[in-house]
Amino acid sequence: MRGLVRWSSKWWPGTIPLAVIWALAVWSNTSPLETELAGRSTEALKDIVLDKSKIAVSGRDVTLAADAFSEEGRRNAVAAIEAVPGVRLVNDETRLIPEAKPFVWSAERDVVRVTLTGSSPLPVTKGKLLEAARAGLGGVEVVDQTNLSRGAPPRFDEAALLLLDQVVRLKDGKITISDTKVSLAGMARDLGGREAIAAALKNLPEGFSVAANEIKAPPYVFQANKDPVASTVTLTGYVPDNNAHAAIVAATGRKFFNEKVVDNLKNSLGAPSGFSNAVVPALGALSRLSTGTLVVSEREVKLSGDALYDAAAGQLRANLIKDFPQGWQLKADISVKPAAAPVDATVCQQLFSEVLAKGTIRFESGRSSIDADSAGLLDHLIEIALRCPATNIEVAGHTDTDGDGSTNQALSEKRAQAVVDYLVRAGLPVSRFTATGHGSAQPIAANDTDEGKARNRRIEFVVKEQP
Amino acid sequence: MILATFHWGWLLLASLLGFAMGWIAVVHRGHGVSRALAGWLGALVAVLLAASLTHLVPGRPGYWLDLGLMIFAVYLVGCTVGSWLRNRVLPGPGGAS
Repeated sequence: MRGLVRWSSKWWPGTIPLAVIWALAVWSNTSPLETELAGRSTEALKDIVLDKSKIAVSGRDVTLAADAFSEEGRRNAVAAIEAVPGVRLVNDETRLIPEAKPFVWSAERDVVRVTLTGSSPLPVTKGKLLEAARAGLGGVEVVDQTNLSRGAPPRFDEAALLLLDQVVRLKDGKITISDTKVSLAGMARDLGGREAIAAALKNLPEGFSVAANEIKAPPYVFQANKDPVASTVTLTGYVPDNNAHAAIVAATGRKFFNEKVVDNLKNSLGAPSGFSNAVVPALGALSRLSTGTLVVSEREVKLSGDALYDAAAGQLRANLIKDFPQGWQLKADISVKPAAAPVDATVCQQLFSEVLAKGTIRFESGRSSIDADSAGLLDHLIEIALRCPATNIEVAGHTDTDGDGSTNQALSEKRAQAVVDYLVRAGLPVSRFTATGHGSAQPIAANDTDEGKARNRRIEFVVKEQP
Repeated sequence: MILATFHWGWLLLASLLGFAMGWIAVVHRGHGVSRALAGWLGALVAVLLAASLTHLVPGRPGYWLDLGLMIFAVYLVGCTVGSWLRNRVLPGPGGAS
């Protein structure tokens, strides 16, 4: 033993190379060791739910910064890293995520996007809700601005998922969960959407209740747009039922002699009373416009566009409201189309023939009263007559061979006269027109079919130069 | 354990160095460390050991201290073994003590 003490006093020279070995070990091993420990620590945290977890290793000391969702989760995380072999110390920089009180989550929909705000209990819930929103809303942009917080009520996920399904039914609005109270505001996308949402809210998980449901039904809107360039009249919006749908489309077809009817109407309950009785005359007014739009919203009719001539605009402004049922309102914004260039008698005759080839002036059966459906056609005829002021026009009535000759002769004369009266009321000078009746004497088609007879029942305009 | 497995090469080197130093020390004629200095050095090592065990030094320096002490310990073991073995194989009166 004494020898060992004696020898050991001579061991010191070895400490110099030993220090070099130490320095080399430090130089070559510090970084690899830290990397190794960081990897093992990350692995140890794999099954613990944390947010924003960050591991920093300095030597053998691990600094763990993370947001934990419970005190227990926080303790478990620190313990898991302490158990990693080689770790000397754990600097615990974890914190509990703040508790939200009340715990508020909301989904807001506007024109372009859906925004999720407020609190989410766990990252997995946050992800699940965002994914559900994206799946339910198709191509609509979804923005997730939720923060993670503690304090969510039990069965929060279930409630939020159910409410996200309701966001799909909204045009715009906001659905909020505040602790266990659900409140909704906004407007449903479709008629009936409000009711569907109310029904779905009955399935909210236990413990949740509806504090306020202020979802509004969308207004009952019907629209018609006359496009003279595409030569179409487009119907969109709602109609009460199949019968009204068919009646409105048929009336549109009769009133718009020159346009193709594009029918995008949907059937839906909730129409204001007198809907069809207001829409049909309003469509008649639209048919008298060169270009225009008709919007029927609840009990208000908005008509805008260009009339073909001054008197027509005046008639529409003054008389259309009289055709509506009680309680309906009209907002007419009607201007007058600039007058077209004058034409000579030949062109004038050609224009009349073209228009009358597309549409026929209709009368009530067996009588000489002009059917209201022909107002649009007559306005076009009047517009043409205004373009050739230096001509006289013979308005000639024709009938088919049904009934006896003298009756037909008288009917054709009366109908021609009714048309002349209509033109004069529109402001044309009476001196330019003569009404003649030809009865069934000048057929343009055989009278043995209904189709032929219909072609023979007609009014013709014959243009003559003024002497 | 991780220190031993991770640094076994360096530790082996230190122990071999210790063994060689111990082997030489038995027949070395030079001056040894004085008793007083040995005391001070022992105290220094004790202080460093205490600092290491209480995890007093943070981060990288703490790790370096642990590693240094470990290398030093292995070196001492190597020295002891070396000196003892040399003493055993050495003929003469030294071998008897």
